[in-house]
Amino acid sequence: MSDVLLEVKNLKQYFNEGKPSEVRAIDDISFAINRGETFGLVGESGCGKSTTGRTIIRLYDATDGEVLFNGVNVQDKKTKAANKDFNRKMQMIFQDPYASLNPRMKVMDIIAEGIDVHGLAKSKKERREKVISLLETVGLNREHAERYPHEFSGGQRQRIGIARALAVDPEFIIADEPISALDVSIQAQVVNLLKELQEERGLTYLFIAHDLSMVKYISDRIGVMYFGKLVEMASADELYRNPMHAYTKSLLSAIPLPDPIYERSRVRTPYNPKDHNYGSDEHVEFREIAPEHFVLCSDKEFEEMKKNYVPKES
Amino acid sequence: MSKILQVKDLELSFHTFAGEVKAIRGVNFDLNKGETLAIVGESGSGKSVTTKSIMRLLPESSSEFKNGEILFDGKDLTKLSEREMQKIRGKDISMIFQDPMTSLNPTMTIGKQIMEPILKHQKVSKDKARKVAIELLNMVGIPNAENRYKMYPHQFSGGQRQRIVIAIALACNPQILIADEPTTALDVTIQAQILELMKDIQKKIDTSIIFITHDLGVVANVADRVAVMYGGKIVEIGTVDEIFYNPQHPYTWGLLSSMPSMDLNEEKLYAIPGTPPDLLNPPKGDAFALRSEYALKIDMEQPPPFFQVSDTHYAATWLLHPQAPQVEPPAGIIERMRTFPGSRYYEATGGRA
Repeated sequence: MSDVLLEVKNLKQYFNEGKPSEVRAIDDISFAINRGETFGLVGESGCGKSTTGRTIIRLYDATDGEVLFNGVNVQDKKTKAANKDFNRKMQMIFQDPYASLNPRMKVMDIIAEGIDVHGLAKSKKERREKVISLLETVGLNREHAERYPHEFSGGQRQRIGIARALAVDPEFIIADEPISALDVSIQAQVVNLLKELQEERGLTYLFIAHDLSMVKYISDRIGVMYFGKLVEMASADELYRNPMHAYTKSLLSAIPLPDPIYERSRVRTPYNPKDHNYGSDEHVEFREIAPEHFVLCSDKEFEEMKKNYVPKES
Repeated sequence: MSKILQVKDLELSFHTFAGEVKAIRGVNFDLNKGETLAIVGESGSGKSVTTKSIMRLLPESSSEFKNGEILFDGKDLTKLSEREMQKIRGKDISMIFQDPMTSLNPTMTIGKQIMEPILKHQKVSKDKARKVAIELLNMVGIPNAENRYKMYPHQFSGGQRQRIVIAIALACNPQILIADEPTTALDVTIQAQILELMKDIQKKIDTSIIFITHDLGVVANVADRVAVMYGGKIVEIGTVDEIFYNPQHPYTWGLLSSMPSMDLNEEKLYAIPGTPPDLLNPPKGDAFALRSEYALKIDMEQPPPFFQVSDTHYAATWLLHPQAPQVEPPAGIIERMRTFPGSRYYEATGGRA
């Protein structure tokens, strides 16, 4: 069986807890990510997908639940050394390459910051060599090390962000909408780079995005979030071929494809959460509708879906 | 079909500390009444600059029209004074910007912002303008408009704000609506709603739309005609079917190939290699030649002229020259061409209905 690297168990993240303004950004979600795979998390803005990423890497303290990384709970109090070790193994790539690089630092120092903190280079020369080899890994070159972020285009900046994340040899990278701020042709370059790095270094990714077409391309499995809850989870192909939850169907029907003939006949199915019409006695939970394919539904819906489930093959 | 706007041989430069940046290097296109023309291309290709020059929104101090004209309603927009331009902006030609978070004034109620162009361009009372504003809000799908019209932008979501921006742009029933990446900052579901809204409104008020985007899915959804821009020039222009099913320029091939398709399980996504050209020193020949595997020797020396593919379809690539060697487009493009009558790969049996 595959080897689990990260496990999220009943994670909850409430902001302004107990106050009238309480926001349940993450409301009891669970999933696991295997070593070497890419898990895609999709949903519209405000559904809690970025919060999930940030809680996993402990930018927020979780309200409740556990995040197990290599079997150790991330949220537990740890010694400084253990914390440092954790920070080295888990890294993040942010959405906006314009805001996530310090404009007053040279690329060399931006990338080397992690190397310095963790003492990964013994001499200045080694530090420099490390940075240059990282730059080359992400498709930039040595001259770029002495420049400042404003001298780069969006796609190049995102490459710097990736080089910075790779600098400390992480096992797990959270990519929070790493391509949404980029042009289509540049998106393809960055996605290909992430895939290559994964193969070379055996990285594990949590890929957060709202662009479903790219997510399908890069992910092995995908989770769909809606208002703080995971509503569906399956392998990428399965999710696209046999979406079961009404929200997933609606999301898929909203994607415009570069095909005018298809576009003329595409009908979008809007999603209305009221359509579920859950009774007060109904138990809504995550159920397995097909092997490794989970849907958030009630008993009644589950029976219904089981009946209608016709697996489509490619 | 009547032409409502004609852009002829437009050339525009920016003066910067580094020198003269030739952002637009000879752009020609017409906009027909009631149609949607999409302009696609990557950042820096000149698509936004083209539309901003139509609106004359570029800083006078650093930008300069080097050549060409923009004809609208018998007038050359490049020659108008700022005062004359103010009569056109927001009335005959209006614009929707990319980011609805920053294109609204945070200190003014949205009702006031919608009334602004109405009061400015039409001789109506405030009362009448208020009624029009509420009608517009209803039209763009803001519920409970009578009450919400007194609210401020921060009280609305991103999608709703973009609806309000559209209401402002439509306030004076413009003949041309320029939409500069209106959905790029939005989610897919909200994007779909806004696109549906724009198409609906276009039918109702019969306006022409110039739609700028880099998302080819959106283009396929909204456009009647498509212009592909690269390095400050239009490299290919045609109807939406011609561009998507019978593309001729290698850059268009690259763009179409870099979109992930939903059914193909390709291992690696096609990425156009390299970066866009430096317009401080624009390349001598075809600007795309350095990134193109299809480049011919002449591409390095002379810029290609437009070759006619059909009455509506033109492409600037030497590959269409009678003496050029026959090249094989990427597999995905051949797949597209198979379905298009008139393309050289067309298979009568394989075509879709």
